[in-house]
Amino acid sequence: MPIVHNGAVTSCVFFAVSGNSYSAGTFISSTVGVPALTHSFCKQNNPAVQTMDPSEVEFLAEKEMVKIIPNFSLDKIYLIGGDLGPFNPGLPVDVPVWLALNLKQRQKCRIVPPEWMDVEKLEEIRELERKEDAFTPVPSPYYMELTKLLLNHASDNIPKADEIRTLVKDIWDTRIAKLRLSADSFISQQEAHAKLDNLTLMEINTTRTFLLDSLNCMYKLRSNLQPGSNKGKALDY
Amino acid sequence: MPCERMPMRYGHSEGHTDVCFDDSGKFIVSCGSDGDVRIWESLDDDDSKSICVGEKAYSLALKNGKLVTAASNNTVQIHTFPDGDPDGILTRFTTNPTHVTFNSIGSRVAAGSSDFMVKVVEVSDSSQQKVFRGHDAPVLSVTFDPKDEFLASASCDGSVVVWNIEEQTQATSWPVLQKTNDVSNAKSLCRLAWQPGAGKLLAVPVDSKVHLYERGSWDHVSTLSDDLVTQPINAVAWSPSGQFLAAGGVGGFLTVWDVDSKLCVERQKQEKGYTVCGLAWHPSGNQIVYSDTQGSLGLLDGLSTSSSHPSTKATKAPASKVAKDYDDLFDDDDDRLMDEGLSDTNSPAKNPVAGDEDGDDDDVVPATGRVRNRGAFLDDENSLDTGSLKLGLDKYGDDDDAGSAIVAPAAPAVPLRPVYEGPMPTPPQKAFQSGSTPAHLTHRFMMWNSVGIVRGYNDEQDNAIDVEFHDSAVHHAMHLTNSLGHSMADVSQEAVLLACPSTDELASKLQCLHFSSWDTNKEWMVDLPKGEDVKALCLGQGWAAAATSAMMLRLFSIGGIQREIFSLPGPVVCMAGHGEQLLIVYHRATGFDGDQALGVQLLQLAQRKRQVIHGEPLPLSRKSYLSWLGFTAEGTPCYIDSEGVVRMLNRSLGNTWTPVCNTRESCKGKSDHYWVVGVHENPEQLRCIPCKGSRYPPTLPRPAVAILPFKLPLCQTTTEKGQMEEQFWRSVLFQNHYSFLSSSGYEVDDQAQSQAEKKQQELLMKMFALSCKLEREFRCVELAELMTQNAVTLAIRYASRSRRMALAQRLSEIALEKANQMNEEEFVEQEDSSIRRTSGYSQAEATGYHYNNRHHQEEEEEQREELEEEEGRDMETEDAAENRKRLNPFAKRGSSPEKPALKPISKEGRVNPFKVLGSGRSSASPGQPRVTNVLDSMTSVKKLAPLSGSAGKTNKSPPLKPLAPRPKAKTQSTLMQMTGSKTANKKAPQNVESAEDKMKQPEVPPTPSPVDNAENKRPKTGFQLWLEENRKSIVADQPDLEETDIIKEAMGRFRILSAEERLSWTERAKGQTVDAADLKKRKRAEGEGGAENENAHVEADESVAKKKKSLDPSSKLSAFAFNKN
Repeated sequence: MPIVHNGAVTSCVFFAVSGNSYSAGTFISSTVGVPALTHSFCKQNNPAVQTMDPSEVEFLAEKEMVKIIPNFSLDKIYLIGGDLGPFNPGLPVDVPVWLALNLKQRQKCRIVPPEWMDVEKLEEIRELERKEDAFTPVPSPYYMELTKLLLNHASDNIPKADEIRTLVKDIWDTRIAKLRLSADSFISQQEAHAKLDNLTLMEINTTRTFLLDSLNCMYKLRSNLQPGSNKGKALDY
Repeated sequence: MPCERMPMRYGHSEGHTDVCFDDSGKFIVSCGSDGDVRIWESLDDDDSKSICVGEKAYSLALKNGKLVTAASNNTVQIHTFPDGDPDGILTRFTTNPTHVTFNSIGSRVAAGSSDFMVKVVEVSDSSQQKVFRGHDAPVLSVTFDPKDEFLASASCDGSVVVWNIEEQTQATSWPVLQKTNDVSNAKSLCRLAWQPGAGKLLAVPVDSKVHLYERGSWDHVSTLSDDLVTQPINAVAWSPSGQFLAAGGVGGFLTVWDVDSKLCVERQKQEKGYTVCGLAWHPSGNQIVYSDTQGSLGLLDGLSTSSSHPSTKATKAPASKVAKDYDDLFDDDDDRLMDEGLSDTNSPAKNPVAGDEDGDDDDVVPATGRVRNRGAFLDDENSLDTGSLKLGLDKYGDDDDAGSAIVAPAAPAVPLRPVYEGPMPTPPQKAFQSGSTPAHLTHRFMMWNSVGIVRGYNDEQDNAIDVEFHDSAVHHAMHLTNSLGHSMADVSQEAVLLACPSTDELASKLQCLHFSSWDTNKEWMVDLPKGEDVKALCLGQGWAAAATSAMMLRLFSIGGIQREIFSLPGPVVCMAGHGEQLLIVYHRATGFDGDQALGVQLLQLAQRKRQVIHGEPLPLSRKSYLSWLGFTAEGTPCYIDSEGVVRMLNRSLGNTWTPVCNTRESCKGKSDHYWVVGVHENPEQLRCIPCKGSRYPPTLPRPAVAILPFKLPLCQTTTEKGQMEEQFWRSVLFQNHYSFLSSSGYEVDDQAQSQAEKKQQELLMKMFALSCKLEREFRCVELAELMTQNAVTLAIRYASRSRRMALAQRLSEIALEKANQMNEEEFVEQEDSSIRRTSGYSQAEATGYHYNNRHHQEEEEEQREELEEEEGRDMETEDAAENRKRLNPFAKRGSSPEKPALKPISKEGRVNPFKVLGSGRSSASPGQPRVTNVLDSMTSVKKLAPLSGSAGKTNKSPPLKPLAPRPKAKTQSTLMQMTGSKTANKKAPQNVESAEDKMKQPEVPPTPSPVDNAENKRPKTGFQLWLEENRKSIVADQPDLEETDIIKEAMGRFRILSAEERLSWTERAKGQTVDAADLKKRKRAEGEGGAENENAHVEADESVAKKKKSLDPSSKLSAFAFNKN
């Protein structure tokens, strides 16, 4: 049973569809240029290549823009993805994360942490996340990836890096716990479909393999339990 | 009666407070708007006891162990004292009570309320109440007659009423107060007080005086006042003996009068000038406790009331007191002085406003609040510490002692303190480095500019300086131990300059880390003479400057050589350097009423040193001070005042200052500010750091730079018209630096400049279209005046298409005028381009623009012309033809049969770098190898005198690499000019001959071309012909004239000629072109098959002729147009 992921990363819908689960499910991704996704979809029969790698999600996250303060001077650079710069020493400029990290590693810039990467704001989000049963909106669709990337490579530019790391991990844990819980109730209540809002790509990605495999497994087991039943006929859960 | 004023302490949160002593005098009890009553054992008690009585407490009274409070829950409550246990509610009102008080024995409580009522309640039995109705507005305060017969109350309706308690009737009433609608709006709380003991007198604070009324007769027997008390009195309190009366009020003053002698025996001032709203005497009579609207408590101690004898006092007091006051005012070194000085600046006229606003901590409040808070933030935030302010005041003090008008004349005449009520001097602001945060901070920015950041650390562990460069390519970051205690810094691409003030042992030092030096010694240090301190410093390109306390400016080379030294007209405030420019701001005079009087000097330290701005006053916003001074990245002086207004020098408007931005408008909160770190003109950026709730950023976390846009404060920028006007003038203003840069020998970004010009013309066209739409034709014409000639043509087209023929006609006149003007300018410009410095934008650049667009334009024009010819509008055609002729002497005509013949010539012409066909500027591109060529052509062009417009243009921009602003090879350009003018001078008389000589030397291919080109460019005008003829006579008259002067002189003379004469010259000029055409025909007939060289020669001539011929049809018309003028 595949997961429908509508590209806005706001909702995730589980489908438990009768019959041929492979053809009934659709996998929609609005994130462009990800061969891995289509690839994995085509080869869903093989669980090993079925899913996206976390590193691929991270790759997508690296397209996010982040402010840096360069310490060099460079005119506008023209890239396929768009124009960047001009770079003036001491003047903040927006660049993609991949470039920011590259420059940072070469000590060519300081990274200005995104606005949400702030202890107070994250604490608020954490409290909200703990209070609500549903998923709350996250500050960035790639909050986990960005936190990891920025803290690993530019922790010296981020005040209270350790606290932020802990807070983001807390938020992540809370959300993953919620996700497991909802998957659990989804299966135990034998629902045919469920919708989850405000999930991020990375979160969907972590649960996908396990959920799909187990649903597949259960499907097989159940069809074996009822040897007489037709594959095309609806299951009774 | 000398007393000691104890320092203020925090008592309650901000807001109204009240305070009293307990019966024994052991405790101070206070209440505040935080709703707490606090019991303090002394003023230093850090562990007070708090009793919460409600959301807000308005007033309290304490007697016999009972604490009565007026709280915001509309009740008057009793608590036990000192335990603070609730003891019931005494009475209720329909709205909040405003004041409560006990009678002398503590058996009754009187309470006034905002519901206009006064109640008297028995403490033992709260059911026994007496209600006094009669006030028409909230009651301000109540007080008991010590004999319990009467009760006095003051109300917002302006009346003070004395009630007979038993009869519950009004005994008397005085309408002496100002009417208001609510207690919160009342200027004075009007806390009345009845003299203890016999209760002979009732003291009523009325504005800034205290009225004393006699009991029984209720006559106004006397008034207590003090000249220094100019603001409303909030509260009065009698000393327990009844001999002294204390008063406190708006502005934080505290005054004690001896009632018998009616003399003021004590004056004090709340240290921050906050409004005193609660006041009480210690039972022993030697202390006064007071509280202010900021929630703090204060104490006056050592009031020796008991020992003093009124009689002796009356005689002794004035002299000694006055003397003491003077001492106080001028010599005593404490902050109070400053506060007094500042609050004294409030003229009486402002007082009415003062009361309401008081206590409001924002610096936007008018009048008193403003001045006072200004003082506060001056010393808190802006590195103008009290020291400097004191200094200033001391100085005034000295002046006064020396007999100045403020005090001395009055002193002998009046025994009391003399009063000066005119404008008061402002403490001069202290010298500062722009881009630094206050010096008292342990971690501070010593400099943040476009090159780097210098941070200073000065805490227990470390005294160090960090230098960091925005561009790591300049230099790596540096960490220095600051053993000398440097307090000022500047950083440039070449060096870091540091300076420290002198100490007892060490002289003031200037240290320079010249990191860009190529030798191994990267540092130098200079000791200043004894007693001279560095006050401000700055770095330029190749020099460093330090302004000292001896009002001197010392210049050093960047390597450490002492250079020029000169005196400054006043104490320096700030300095800035950029390239060769030095900008100094100093105190021009004493400012008054919060304004600073600053002067500014701008010096050019280039080869030709000169002063550009000669100490003119620096415009600042009202009541503001300078907060940033510097240059834009392009080198235009710029500064910012404390009101956040950014002003930039407008060189094209006689070095005036134009406000280009108000950073406060972009602030979200009132106390937010932008701390500016840099100004850029291209792109238009104001780089600054947003600071929440402060004027400057902390060093950690590292602040991020934001960018603000500029906006000229034009009117009605919400409308489309206003917006476009703003954009246009901003663009014009921000383009000034191009002409400045090119005139001072820097390379400019031509592309950006032409883009800016294009944008301006576009804006003008848009405005033109808008005005057209609105049927504002006059405005259209005005706009056209601003346009370049090219844009005017477009405008004409627009006008004629939208069927505004009258407008189109007027526009064409303008176009004509512009063309003429341009022609004339070209003469002048080419000749004196070396003299020209900071000419207006319209003149210089507009011309350049014409060159660039000539071809394009001429085509358009032609189309238009044809069109109009068809329509048969003669006048216009003539004008247009005239234009074209003057402007585009070699218009390419599609219909011209000779067109193909043009080509070889134009190719040949390309050899000449100075040929202006496409764009005058790009022709200047050839590098060094062609220098000889350049010189050659230059001389010949010059020899041909004023014909070519190109020579001037090229002179202006000698071939140089298009790099970021760097001084170009000046030697070269001057050399060129010199050669040019010299040869021209020398050979002027035989210029034509020599040119012909050159033409006859076919071996040198490029030589003919300059001549031809020069001729090609433009047919000779009447003036030129005239000049050729008359040059000799001019030279004979004034043989010492330079080439430029000759032209000028000639133009002058030509203008004097009568219209007919001039016309005849013009006709002759045209006649010549016809001759040339004839010549061409003849030559063509015979010239076939000649030698190659000859051929080239002929062709050259041909081209001239062709072009001229092509103009023939219009020549008559142009003559007509000329005549018309």
